[in-house]
Amino acid sequence: MAQDELDLEKDSLKFGFIKLTDCAPIVIAKEKGFFETEGLQVEVIAQPNWKQLLDNVINGELDGAHMLSGQPIAATIGFGTKAHIVTAYTLDLNGNGITVSNDVWEQMVENEPALDTETPQHPISAASLKPVVQEKLDAGEKLQMGMVFPVSTHNYEIRYWLATSGIHPGMYTSEDIKGFTDAEVELSVTPPPQMPSALESGTISGYCVGEPWNQQAVAKSIGVPVTTNYDIWKNNPEKVFGVTKAWADENPNTHVAVVKALIRAGKWLDATDESGKLINREEACRILAKPNYVGADYEVIKNSMTGFFYFQKSDKREMPDFNVFFKYQCSYPWYSDGVWFLTQMRRWGQIPEAKPKEWYDETAKKVYLPDVYKDAASRLLKDGWIAKSDVPWDTDGYRPPTKDFIDGIEYDGKKPIEYLNSHTIGNKD
Amino acid sequence: MNFFREEAMTAVNALEVVQANVGFGRPSNRTEVLADINLQVEKNEFVAIIGFSGSGKSTLMNLLAGIQPLDSGEVLMNGQQVTGPGPERGILFQNYSLLPWLSVYGNIELAVKQVFPQKNTAERKEYIQRYIDMVSVTGSEWKKPSELSGGMRQRLSLARTLSMQPEVLLLDEPLSALDALTRANLQDEIIRIWEVDRRTVVMITNDVDEAVLMADRIVALTPGPKATLGRSFDVTLDRPRDRTTLNFNPEFIELRNEVTKYMIAINKEAKELRVSNEISLPDLMPIDFNQPQRLPRRPDVATINQNTELVSTGAGNE
Amino acid sequence: MSDQTPIEKIKYGLLKTIDVSGFKVFDPVVRLFFGEEPRKQLGDISRYMIAPIIFVCCCMLFWNFIAPRHKTKSGEVPTPKQVWNALVTNDTLDERENEKESDFQLSDEQREDTIATVTALVAEREKKSEELKAELAEIEAQCKKEQGEALEPLNQALAQLKAENKKLRESRAAESAKISKAIAAKEADPEKLLEYLRNDSEMTLAEKDSEKELKDKIKKIRDEEPKRLKAAQLASSQVANEVQHLKKRLDYLSTGNRSQKVAQAEESATKALGSLSSADSPAAILAAAKSVVKSEQRASKISEQEYPRAATIWFQVWRSLFTVFVGFVLAAAIAIPVGIMCGLNRIAMACLTPIISVFKPVSPVVWLLIFQIIVGAFFPNPDTHPLFVFLNGLPWIGALNVNPALIFSACTVAMCAVWPALVNTALGVSSVEKDHLNVAKVLRLGLWSRLTKIIIPSSLPLVFAGLRISLGVGWMVLIAAEALSSSDGLGKFVWDEYQNGSSHSFANILLACFVIGIIGFFLDRFMIVLQRSVSFDDGAATV
Repeated sequence: MAQDELDLEKDSLKFGFIKLTDCAPIVIAKEKGFFETEGLQVEVIAQPNWKQLLDNVINGELDGAHMLSGQPIAATIGFGTKAHIVTAYTLDLNGNGITVSNDVWEQMVENEPALDTETPQHPISAASLKPVVQEKLDAGEKLQMGMVFPVSTHNYEIRYWLATSGIHPGMYTSEDIKGFTDAEVELSVTPPPQMPSALESGTISGYCVGEPWNQQAVAKSIGVPVTTNYDIWKNNPEKVFGVTKAWADENPNTHVAVVKALIRAGKWLDATDESGKLINREEACRILAKPNYVGADYEVIKNSMTGFFYFQKSDKREMPDFNVFFKYQCSYPWYSDGVWFLTQMRRWGQIPEAKPKEWYDETAKKVYLPDVYKDAASRLLKDGWIAKSDVPWDTDGYRPPTKDFIDGIEYDGKKPIEYLNSHTIGNKD
Repeated sequence: MNFFREEAMTAVNALEVVQANVGFGRPSNRTEVLADINLQVEKNEFVAIIGFSGSGKSTLMNLLAGIQPLDSGEVLMNGQQVTGPGPERGILFQNYSLLPWLSVYGNIELAVKQVFPQKNTAERKEYIQRYIDMVSVTGSEWKKPSELSGGMRQRLSLARTLSMQPEVLLLDEPLSALDALTRANLQDEIIRIWEVDRRTVVMITNDVDEAVLMADRIVALTPGPKATLGRSFDVTLDRPRDRTTLNFNPEFIELRNEVTKYMIAINKEAKELRVSNEISLPDLMPIDFNQPQRLPRRPDVATINQNTELVSTGAGNE
Repeated sequence: MSDQTPIEKIKYGLLKTIDVSGFKVFDPVVRLFFGEEPRKQLGDISRYMIAPIIFVCCCMLFWNFIAPRHKTKSGEVPTPKQVWNALVTNDTLDERENEKESDFQLSDEQREDTIATVTALVAEREKKSEELKAELAEIEAQCKKEQGEALEPLNQALAQLKAENKKLRESRAAESAKISKAIAAKEADPEKLLEYLRNDSEMTLAEKDSEKELKDKIKKIRDEEPKRLKAAQLASSQVANEVQHLKKRLDYLSTGNRSQKVAQAEESATKALGSLSSADSPAAILAAAKSVVKSEQRASKISEQEYPRAATIWFQVWRSLFTVFVGFVLAAAIAIPVGIMCGLNRIAMACLTPIISVFKPVSPVVWLLIFQIIVGAFFPNPDTHPLFVFLNGLPWIGALNVNPALIFSACTVAMCAVWPALVNTALGVSSVEKDHLNVAKVLRLGLWSRLTKIIIPSSLPLVFAGLRISLGVGWMVLIAAEALSSSDGLGKFVWDEYQNGSSHSFANILLACFVIGIIGFFLDRFMIVLQRSVSFDDGAATV
C-alpha cells in the first residue's frame, strides 16, 4: 500500500478552483478516488475569482488551489499580493482561445478576404484586426478586450498575439497598474464567466479565456474564436497547482501525496486506446458538468475536452492537443516555464526594472519544486502507476529551445535577456 | 392680587405656593403661562382649582408635584421647599399614565416596591390586593390596562397613587376623560376613600358641579396666558354630600351659580384684556376652493354645557 | 368573557394565533369552519383569498406564455415548469448525497445487499443509457442531415452569388482599366473614370449586402436547435448522470466504504504486527513498531471519518439562515445598547450621528471587502483556531462548516442591519411617553430601574420594529455577501449557477429567487410575531 510509506501531516484538505475545464486533474483526483487512495480527504471548493482564490490560499482558508501559472511567480516576486507561493505540479497545457465579437469578426473578414470561408486557414494572426483597431483609434477610441487576470497566461497570450501583428497592447508601469500605457487595444480584467455576457453587451469586443467560455460563445452565437493558444505557442503551460511555501514546508509528505494523486488524475485524463482516442474524457466531462464543479452543459464541455474545437458552428476542427493534462511530460514543473512567464512580466512592464539573467533562474527555482514531483513520481513508478518515460528524470529543468510560436521567435529558457530583446514591442534589457 | 386670609399665613400649610411664575419658550417667543401664583392648602383640606381648558391647569399641577420647574417663586410642603417630584405628593394624571406593558397588579407593584422596599413578598402582595380591592378592580388583577375601560383605568391609577400613601394627593382633572355616569361613580368613590383616609387633596377640574360636590374650597384659575389664581369660594355644605338631594339644595345651587357666573365674568375680562394689546384684524379668510367650505369660527364664545362644564377656546399652554 | 364554550375558546384561540402571526387572510376560513355568518365569510374568502390566488395564477400563466417567446442569446427564459424541474433536480442532487452518505456508512450484510441492488440497477440503467445514446446519435445525424438539406441550396446559392459577384467585379475592374487607358490616351475625360469608380463602389456594396443577406439566412438555420435534439440530449444526459451516480455509489459501497477502509487499515496493522514479531535487527524492529502505531492511528482516524457531502441547495439554505442569524444577533447586540445610550443622552446621540449618517449608506459590498481584510487578520490559521474548532465541534452547527468566510459575511450583515435597529431603538427610547417618565419621576426611580422598568419596556415595540427591518435588510445583504465572498449559502448557489452558465443555470437562479423570497417572507412573519408579542397596544401599529 502506497500510503504506508508517507507519514501524512494533514489528511483533510481543502482545494480551491475556478470554474474552468482545466481544473480537471483536481476534480478527477477527488472524484476518481485518487486522493482517497493516498489517505486524503479533500474538499474541492469553487472560488469566485483568481484574486480571492489566491487570498484564500494565503490566509489558510484553502490548502492549495488551481492557479494561473503566473500567479505563484507574481506572488513570490511581489507583483500584486505578495506571498511565497510554490508549485510542484503543472495541471495542463493549452486550453485557451481568443474570441472576438461577431461584429469585429465581420470587419476582419472584410479586411482579409481569405477568412471569408467556413474553414479559414489557421493560425489567424491579428493582422486583419489591425485596421479595425486603427479605425477605432482614428475615431478617438480604443478597442476594448478582456482577459482574466493581470498575471494570467491569457493576458500574456493575447498581448503576444496582438504585438506579433504590430498592435500595441499597452505597458504596465509602476503608476499604471492597469497596463494601458501606450495601448492601442485596452485589455481589462473580466472574470471568465462574465466574458460572454460582456461580449454580448458590447463592453468588450473580444477576449482571451479558457474553456468552456470560448465554446460558449460559439454555442450562443455571440462571437467567433479566432485562435487558440495552441496556435500562439504550441503546448504552452497553462495552470499549476499552487500552495504556500509555508504549507509546503509544514506538510512535505502531504504535498507529495497530493502530487501523486494529481499525477494519476492527469494520467487518467490523457489515457488513450491503441488508436489514440482519449478514452476517459467523456466521463471526465460528465463529472465536470456537475453544478458544484464547472457546471456548464455537458455538450459544451465535451466540445473542447474530447479533442475538438468549434471555431464557428460550421467549423469544427480536430484539436487533439487542445487540452493536454499529462502528455509531453507536461505536468512536470519546468523551470523554463517559469522563466517564460518572468520574461513576459518584464516585457510588459509588470517587472519595472531590468534583472540579470541569473535572477530569472533563481526566481523560477524558488517557485517550481521538481523534487516534490520527482519524489511523487518515483513512488508511483515503483507501484507501477506510471511508466518510466512519463517523467523527465534527468532534466536540468529546462525544456529544449523551441520556435513553436506564432511568430517563430525562438525561446530558450536559459537565455531570457536575449529572448526579451528579440521582440519588437515591449521592454528590452 | 392676594385674596387669601392673613391668618392662614402664620400656620404651616400642608402645601403652599409663593409668587410662582412659569413660562415656556425662548426669550424671543416666550409665553408666560402662570404668573403670580399664590396658594395655601391646609392639612387635610380638599381644594378644587377650577379653570378653563388651556388656562395652564396641568402646568399648575405639575408645579405642585415638582415635575415642572419654576421661573421664580417657590413651592413649599410643610414649610420645606419642594425641589422635585416624589411619592409624598401622589399625582393622579388626567390620562392615567398607566404602564401599558404591566398588568393591574404590576402597575401597583412597581410603585409599592419602590416606595416600600422593606415589605416582604407576602406583605406586599397583601398590601397591593388591599388597594385593588379599595378601588373595586378586584378580579382584573392580571389584565393589561388596554383591556380595561376608562373608569377602571382611572381607578387603577388612583389605587397606584394611593398605594404610595402620599401626604398630599394631587388630582389632575382625573375624571375629565370619562363619561358622565362613570364620572359620577368615581367622584363618589374618591370622596368615600378620602372620607375614610383623610389627607390633603388638590384637585384640578373644569366642572363646577364636581368642584362644589367634592371640595372644601374652590379656587378659580383665570384664563391664560399669564393665568393666575382668582377668587376663592368656601364650600360649607355638610358632608357626606348626597348628589341626589344636592340638586335641590339652595346653598348648592347658589354656590354653583356664583362660581359659574364668576368664571364667565373672568373669561370675558380676559378676552377684553387680550383684545387691548392686540391689533384686531378683519375677520376675513380667503376662500380656498380646494377645501370644503368652512366658516371661520369665532374664538370668543364661551359656552356652558348641560354639565356646566366650562369650555373656552382661549389660547394658552396646557 | 369567561362564559365561552370550549369550542368558542378554540375558535378565538385560533383566530388570535392567525392574527398574531399575520396570516389574517385565513381568518374567514376559520370563522366559516365554525359556522359563523357563512355568507359573509364566503364573500371575504372570495375577495381576499380566491382573487389573489387567481391573480397569482394569471401571473404564472403570463410568465408561462411570455418565457419561451423572450429569447436572449444567453438562453431562453425558463418557464414555471422548468423552474419546478430545477427544484426537483436540486432535490435529487440532495437525495443522491444522502444515498452516498448512507452508503459510506453502511457495513456488513447491509452493505453487501446494497451492492447487489445497486449493481443490478447500474446494469439496467447502463443499458438504457446506451439505448438513449444511440437514439441521440441517430437524432443528431438526422438533424444534421436535415440541416444540411436545408442549407444545401442556400450554400449553393451563396457560392453562385459569390462567383457572379466576383465576375461582375472583375468585369468592372477591366472596364475601369479600359477607361483609364483611354484617359491616358487623352481619348476620355478623367471625370468619366471618377464617375465610373463611384458607381463601382456602390455596386460592390450592394453585392456584398446581398451576400450578407444570404449568409444571415444560413446562420439563422445553423443557430436553430431542433427541439427533439435538445430533448434527446437532456434525456440521455439524465440517465448518464444517474449511471455515474450509481457507479459512485458502488465506489462508496466498496473501496470508499468506511467499514472497508477501517478493515483495511486494521489488516495492515496486523500485518505490521506480524513483521514486528519476525523482525530481528533493532532498526527493523523500530520501523515495524512505528508502522504498527501508525496503522492503528489510521484505523481509528478512519472510523471517525464523515462523508464529505457536496453542498446542495438545502445545505445552502441552512447555512444562509445560520449566517443571517449570527449577523442579526451581532447587529442586535450592538444596536440595542448603543441605541439606548443615544436615546437617553443627547451628547451620545450627537457623537454618533455623524458616524451613523456616513456609514449607513455604504454598500454591503464595501463592508464585505473591509471585513474580509479585518476578519482575515484574526484567523491566521482557521483550521486550528479555537473558535472554529469549537463551533465545528457543535452538533448542528458543525455540519454547516463554520469558516472565516461565514464570519465576515455575518459581520457584513451585521454592519448593514445595525442601522435600522439602532435608529429605531434610539427613537423608541427618546420618545417614551412623558407621562410614563413622570411616573418614574414621582416614584423617584433610579437610572437602572427607570431603564429596565419604564424606558426599555416602553420602547420595545419600536425596537422590535427596527429589528424586523434589520432582519429584512440582513437577509438581502447576506445573499450579496455570500455571492461575493464565496461563503457557502444561497448567495453562493446563485453565483455558482451564474458562473456555470449551463442551460439549467437560469432556471436555478429563478428557483433561488423564489427560495430566497419565501424564506425572507417567513423571517419577516417570525419577526412580526415577536413584535406583536412585546407590543402592548395589541399590535395595532404593525402591518
